[in-house]
Amino acid sequence: MADPYKPRAPFAPWDRRELPGSFDVEDSARRVGNYKWAEMKLFEALGGWVATVPELDVKMRLGTHCYKHAWHADLWHKRLPELREMNPDRLTQPANDAMVRFVEAMTEPEAPDQTIEKLVGVYRVFIPRFIAAYTFHKNNTSQITDAPTIRSINFILQDEFDDWRDGEMILQSLIETPDDVERAARHQARLEAIMVEAGGIAGPGSIGMTSTGASANGPQNGSAA
Amino acid sequence: MRKFFPVEELARDGRFNQITMKDRMADPRTVLGKDGVRPSSNRLVPSRPDASTAARVLMHGIFVGEIQALEGAGRTCHDFRTAGDQARRAQDAAAGDDSGADAVPFALKLDMARQAWDEARHVEISVKLSDWMGGEIGEIAENTVLQAACSTDPVLRLAGVNRALEGLAIDVFTTMKEFGDLAGDPFLEFCEDWMLADEVTHVKMGSDWLRKVTENDPERRKKALEFQGIVDKLFSYGGTRSDSEESPIGLARRFRELAGFTDSEVEDIAEVSLAALNERKDAVARLQAEAASQFAGR
Repeated sequence: MADPYKPRAPFAPWDRRELPGSFDVEDSARRVGNYKWAEMKLFEALGGWVATVPELDVKMRLGTHCYKHAWHADLWHKRLPELREMNPDRLTQPANDAMVRFVEAMTEPEAPDQTIEKLVGVYRVFIPRFIAAYTFHKNNTSQITDAPTIRSINFILQDEFDDWRDGEMILQSLIETPDDVERAARHQARLEAIMVEAGGIAGPGSIGMTSTGASANGPQNGSAA
Repeated sequence: MRKFFPVEELARDGRFNQITMKDRMADPRTVLGKDGVRPSSNRLVPSRPDASTAARVLMHGIFVGEIQALEGAGRTCHDFRTAGDQARRAQDAAAGDDSGADAVPFALKLDMARQAWDEARHVEISVKLSDWMGGEIGEIAENTVLQAACSTDPVLRLAGVNRALEGLAIDVFTTMKEFGDLAGDPFLEFCEDWMLADEVTHVKMGSDWLRKVTENDPERRKKALEFQGIVDKLFSYGGTRSDSEESPIGLARRFRELAGFTDSEVEDIAEVSLAALNERKDAVARLQAEAASQFAGR
């Protein structure tokens, strides 16, 4: 048996986690507040649409996905006080006005024959943006100091990928004609334009790049490196 | 997307046929036996001559009820502003609604989202059970009972959906679980037991939130409980659910207790259900007398 008193390295050779990260506590809290707001808007929209879609399989999927995004919002709600924000409502904010407009435009379709538009907004625009923002956060935050955020992101990303796949497959099954393709693409382009203006779930810099193409992931953006 | 969706606009595919409660109650076949006489016992038990059909009809009723419960929980996530959501408040104000009276706690909406997932699973389960029992989607008319879920007051909606509609679900699932047990169908019994566990949770959510949200507003609580009483009577379907053996569905007292109903509340529901049964019997007797006199007058 190995000598239990023999000094060992605090980090095993296979543990390559690093201390430096791109976000300080305030940066991380602001992003988490934006995530919570966006997840809330998504679960509210999915819940509201359940009664408006005639397709039974879609109705059931929306109900299931509604809960997953509510759970994500709850994870972020609980994370905020751990990031020194004792009043979570203060930071539960959209990244900017364009994000509010995006949600308004995404939730506009209500008629029973607009299932394609509803799903395009969620599964071809909104959820891919969540995946991007979460992936950027996970890969750029301190792997040691911000480990609780990374853990939540890992759970959430699994849901996002699963739901994106569900939604995309349903869309592929609903889009049957060139007209349907045109409808889906037109709506996606309209929403995507607003999302570009918003800069992503956490605003400009959601994935590190600003709209001018410069990296927002530098010392001026709160690097602890 | 609008807030507050009317029950008439619930989206369905071409297989579904919707009828109102009024239409259903106007059909004497729902209360009389084959010979025009009401049997003394209507409980759903395997020994009933029409047990197979009756169980399939009830399962279809569960299926469409679950769709409506899913829609109700989903709408509650959407219709009411979350307390503290300043951006939504500004949107509402811009749309001319700055009362703020409809704000609900974040945790309540999380519970409703959870319920939406549970109800979605229940729809999945009941579709598979219907198929297992030889039924088909749309073979029975859908009774639209979602008016309870369309109230613009979140407390009334909780009372109507989580306490009355989900309370009825407890009674229905208990009856169906017992039927599965007696009929030697472990598949049915197993599934109903799982759904029953969820429903007890939903009713408890409703009981807890009703108390919490109206903690300092006894008048609002009274109004909500009165609304629940009305919905309970409506959901007794003219005596389809009561303690009487004449009702196919019994009152699941023990599970209701677990879900947060007090003894006196259960007694109230028992009385309301029995009154609904008697009113229905009187109404049918009147219809029969009228028909007989018309026939005699010819």
